[in-house]
Amino acid sequence: MTRLNRLFLASALAFSVAAPAVMAQDLTVGFTLDADTLDPANHRKRETETLIRNIYDGLLTRDGDMKVVPEIAESMTQVSPTEYDFKIRQGIKFHDGSDMTVEDVKFTLDRIVLEGGMGGGVTSPRQGLMGPVDKVDILDDSTVRITLKEPWPILPAMLPNQQIVSKAWVEKVGNDGLATQPNGTGPFKLAEWRKGDAIILERFDDYYGGAADIAPVGKACVDRVIFKVIPESASRVAALLAGDVDIINELPPFSVEQVKNNPNTDVLTVNGTRSFFIAMNMQGEYFDDPKVRQAAAHAIDKDLIIDRILGGNAARIEGILSPDAFGASELPAYAYDPEKAKALLAEAGFPDGIDVTMDVEGAFKDIAEAVASLLTKAGIRTKVAVGESAQLTEKWRTQGKPKTGDMYFSSWGNGSLDPFDIFTPTHRTNDRGNSAGYANPELDALLDAAAVEMDAEKRAGMYREAEMMINADLPYVYLWVPQDIYGVSKRLKGWKPSADSRINLHDACVE
Amino acid sequence: MSLGKLLERILQLVPVLLGVSLIVFVMMALTPGDPVQIMIGDQSITPEQEAELRRGLGLDRPLVERFFVFIGNAVQFDFGTSFYHRRPVGEVIAERLPATIELSLVALIVALVTAIPLGVLAAIKKNSIFDRLATVGSLLGVSLPGFWFGILLLMLFAVHLQILPVSGRIGFSSEVPTVTGFLLIDTLLAGNLRAFGDACRHILLPAITLGLPMTAILMRVTRTSMLEVLRQDYVTFADAKGLSRRRVLFRHALKNALIPTVSVAAIETGSLLGGNMIVETVFGWPGLGRLVVESIFLRNYPLVQAAVLFYAVTYVLLNFVADILYTVLNPRVKL
Repeated sequence: MTRLNRLFLASALAFSVAAPAVMAQDLTVGFTLDADTLDPANHRKRETETLIRNIYDGLLTRDGDMKVVPEIAESMTQVSPTEYDFKIRQGIKFHDGSDMTVEDVKFTLDRIVLEGGMGGGVTSPRQGLMGPVDKVDILDDSTVRITLKEPWPILPAMLPNQQIVSKAWVEKVGNDGLATQPNGTGPFKLAEWRKGDAIILERFDDYYGGAADIAPVGKACVDRVIFKVIPESASRVAALLAGDVDIINELPPFSVEQVKNNPNTDVLTVNGTRSFFIAMNMQGEYFDDPKVRQAAAHAIDKDLIIDRILGGNAARIEGILSPDAFGASELPAYAYDPEKAKALLAEAGFPDGIDVTMDVEGAFKDIAEAVASLLTKAGIRTKVAVGESAQLTEKWRTQGKPKTGDMYFSSWGNGSLDPFDIFTPTHRTNDRGNSAGYANPELDALLDAAAVEMDAEKRAGMYREAEMMINADLPYVYLWVPQDIYGVSKRLKGWKPSADSRINLHDACVE
Repeated sequence: MSLGKLLERILQLVPVLLGVSLIVFVMMALTPGDPVQIMIGDQSITPEQEAELRRGLGLDRPLVERFFVFIGNAVQFDFGTSFYHRRPVGEVIAERLPATIELSLVALIVALVTAIPLGVLAAIKKNSIFDRLATVGSLLGVSLPGFWFGILLLMLFAVHLQILPVSGRIGFSSEVPTVTGFLLIDTLLAGNLRAFGDACRHILLPAITLGLPMTAILMRVTRTSMLEVLRQDYVTFADAKGLSRRRVLFRHALKNALIPTVSVAAIETGSLLGGNMIVETVFGWPGLGRLVVESIFLRNYPLVQAAVLFYAVTYVLLNFVADILYTVLNPRVKL
């Protein structure tokens, strides 16, 4: 063989498509972000939690319908308004082969809730997600009690956010080690983390099976799961169409048709948990008048925007709560009526209309432009101003300090689907997310009472009452809750998207 | 260049770095947006828990104190802990750096290998159809936005023709032990030709996208300086001596024509390292650019500060390299 021939052969070999030696069954997810860390107690990002959730299990989890069900816990009993007992399943193993015990559960929760709980004076950034948890006690070999400082009905809804770590392992590898060397009880264990590029997980063969209430119970279906980081949505779509990945998250609405038309791919949707709204500055020049706020509500044709821009993938709302949230109910609607909007403006003393600016983040500019054109048609001449998230947050969420600006196209997430997490921050006087500057002592009292009300039916009634109040006062124009849209390969079976945007792959199979 | 001069140049780095540190620190502090509020996001939290979070990030201390702590630690190569990764930022940056450097170098090679011959050819065949095409091509190369051109390449080569991968640095069936962090080198060190080919296929499109504007700039610089040189007396003299055209062009003209090309290339390499954000995002390339963009949005102060310092050092060093190359190529110039 000549030298040239050999060279040619070698390069042909090198450039041929790499074929795996063994046909292991891989499921690849094209995912927006890499994990910051794989330590379940040491992060503050939803995407990081999605990845961690495939490696670690929690005391409780959620089923496909967002119902909270036991996972590592066998059962949960509320002993008093401030005490919850958890019976822990036996025979659960960590990935290193050691047994999980009540000690590990206590250690995990202490690490999150105690000040300096992570050691070295470091407090877990997830402490705030555990509300008023006071202490965690071991009652016997299989029971753990969580005691609260005050009643907090959403503890069960918040517990799926925390995952159980091994006490012995954390003491061995330390916080720094745990960031990259996870040792969970979940369906997959870490094979390799190519930082910024991919997280490669392998099936854990000694898995106890997962939540008893979520079928199928048992080991994971696929051999490997690969979370491949592709931040750009056009590239994620390209990867799906090229067959490089089996699932992509955050499929943009304008790519839905393209993915549907491809013979090998499909689109799956699930009701999201993020409510979109327009905050109107109630301390401002125009929107202190309820008539002007009502005019804005009547000026926007929500159905049109949902249909044309969001591809029908959203549910309209008339209050802050998603239709799927606890306590959500039917509310009076502000019908699309630009003439009525003009009349209301005239009644408020602006027969020639008003000129306002609407702040929005770049990602939602197109929708905001559409809303602005509708507002303008009804006499609220709106200019859209694009800003960056952090900057707009500081401008609008002033927590009681005076604010400038007219309108703010914004949103608030509600992963727990409990009103406490969205209603209080956005509507309570001077609270963190109250960008409208709304102040209603009557509502504050109602929200405070509802937050600690243990009778579910009574609590739902209180939130219904609160929704009626804000629907009438209208500090915001409540818009819609978009669906989360996923693109999937048709070879994927047994997986459906979840409203809390987690991608749990225990049940997923590929053909 | 004497050792003294070299030391002098290195010492000049100190005020530059101090200045950059001060500027980046003050800019981050003045940018609206509170890292703690961003971190809490859409969650309810008690004021005590919020204060604890702020204390944990070290943001409860006065700005001046924070600056001096930052400088004091930075001179010991401790740049603080990333707010989100909760690990030393030096470590986080080091993990991402090889991918960025590898991509930049390959893009540089792509640019040099295409730009110089095209530039020379355009100069020799001045005003020909080829010259005009090359001029239009270079105009396009400078003006096509990277995110658009990258996605175009993806749609063609990855989706329609399916001959190149969409994203990442290497496929998941390839396992290569990390030695240098540069996959093109590590795969060869491991003797794994298949993985090397895979890494080449992955880097091709991002490197072309990243290298395109630089190719265009270098081509124009080469063309202009080649034209300049060809007008010089010594070239006419060499021609008159009866030397072959090839010998005149490559032995006499090109050597001098490349001086500006080399210095522009060295300086442009600095912007390659800093200008990776878009290409890295489009091709899911796990480099530093993407990390820095994410960190800016999240107001992850320690990471942004360290990364900007790194960019500054790189830029200064590359300028330095450009100066040295200049003196080597053109001995009349002394530093």
